[in-house]
Amino acid sequence: MSIALRRVQVTHSAACASPVQALAEINLEIAGGERVAIIGPSGAGKSTLLRLLATAQRPDSGTVELLQQQPWALGGGSLQKLRARIGLIQQAPPLPPRQRVVTAVAAGRAGQWSRCKSLLNLIYPLDVAGIHLVLGRLDLADKIFDRCDQLSGGQLQRAAIARTLYQQPELILADEPVSAMDPVLAEHTLALLNREAQQRSATLVVSLHNLELALRHFPRVIGLRRGRILFDRAAAEIGEGELELLYANEQLLAPQQSPLPQPPANRCC
Amino acid sequence: MKRVPQTPRPPLRAAGILILLALMVAVVAAIRFLALDFSGVMEPVSLQQMREYFVQFLQPDLTASHLQAIGNAALETLGMSAIGTLLAAVFGVCLSLPAAGYFGRVAQHCARGLLNILRAIPELVWAALMVLAAGLGPNAGTLALALHTTGVLGRLFAETLENTPTGPADALRGSGGSRITAFCYGTLPTLWPQWLAYTLYRWENNIRMSSVLGFVGAGGLGQMLYIHLSLFQQAQAASVILTMLLLVFAVDSLSLWLRQRYLAR
Repeated sequence: MSIALRRVQVTHSAACASPVQALAEINLEIAGGERVAIIGPSGAGKSTLLRLLATAQRPDSGTVELLQQQPWALGGGSLQKLRARIGLIQQAPPLPPRQRVVTAVAAGRAGQWSRCKSLLNLIYPLDVAGIHLVLGRLDLADKIFDRCDQLSGGQLQRAAIARTLYQQPELILADEPVSAMDPVLAEHTLALLNREAQQRSATLVVSLHNLELALRHFPRVIGLRRGRILFDRAAAEIGEGELELLYANEQLLAPQQSPLPQPPANRCC
Repeated sequence: MKRVPQTPRPPLRAAGILILLALMVAVVAAIRFLALDFSGVMEPVSLQQMREYFVQFLQPDLTASHLQAIGNAALETLGMSAIGTLLAAVFGVCLSLPAAGYFGRVAQHCARGLLNILRAIPELVWAALMVLAAGLGPNAGTLALALHTTGVLGRLFAETLENTPTGPADALRGSGGSRITAFCYGTLPTLWPQWLAYTLYRWENNIRMSSVLGFVGAGGLGQMLYIHLSLFQQAQAASVILTMLLLVFAVDSLSLWLRQRYLAR
């Protein structure tokens, strides 16, 4: 089992008076080498789930098991080693604007390289060949020595993907990895992620807004709505009705009585 | 389930208005308290006196021996301010990390307290103390500049640290990087241009400052200026002042060029 969640609950309480339940009693098992897409409306808890799997979010209750280890029972050193085996591709890639792409991608191995090697690499890039190869597969080879703030949104997303591929994690997590790419690139990038995961028998979990892409590229699809798993099955078995139920939006579909639709009163901020 | 429609109100900015009012009251009170009165400056007698004094500065002493002395003093001033600022930058970096809360709350309070003390004591006072401790000359000036500037730069560096987005460093921690690696790869690229800009700016300030420090005997152009002014040698003092101007202009354009060349955007 690559991922095992049992009765996991996450509540966001920051800034808001009434805590928002992001994940409610989630039970989930994903075997090693599986490729899974997570779909669902905005605010369903997709990002929270991925952050949970990346050990960036601690659950309020329940147990999380990743790569046969319980991250929150581990000490600092072992947790750091476990994290080096997990790669998260974030929706807004957190790359420093002034950093060169070659350095930003090399940072993927920060958890594997010794401290000395990492610091040396800051002064002179040590593995230009390897990074050039990874960037080439994302059609970004010509940008290797450019600064990150010179890249477009889609290029930045691909640079972040290159970093995670360069990390060679056993568990690849991606939060909306193709949201800023054109359809052809999105298609190509998802195929690449899938191919990469298959070749190294890594587990791949991707959240997507685009239903077609999710159904076409991933054998297993999980529908998330309001912090709960609505369905979890093979892509081929998912019916039209289930998708409608997943994305049903009462607020937008309700007859418009007032000209201005209101947010619920208890959602402060 | 239906919700009662209700137009959202923008949050009231009472605090902002209050602060603005308080500031205005403070400005008026300060003018009253200091009894500021600029009318005396414009009276014919004082204008006449000022003109006579300034005319004496219009014939700067440009003899070779004097220029050589000025050159030596200028080098001393430059060296004092450069070494002082460099030392301050190094100590500032060392203190800004704890001051930004990188090593826990206790260390944070200690570092902040130390920076406040260093900053609260002006360069001139530091210089006077250092002249007692290290004797007359550039030693004292360098130390005085380093101490005060450490307080200033440490505070500025810490603030930049706190305002730097943590996303990149968090991401690196998330993929198993150590704290040092995450800092160097995630935080430093955004940080160092700002740190460098602050340091250059303080260097510029310190060149001006180091000329004043000479007045308490801390070496450089300032000491020369002080001696000539005390002896009413306006011609010699004028050339010292000209040199100071040139120096400040030169450093100003150098730091501008550096910032545009390397720190743009």
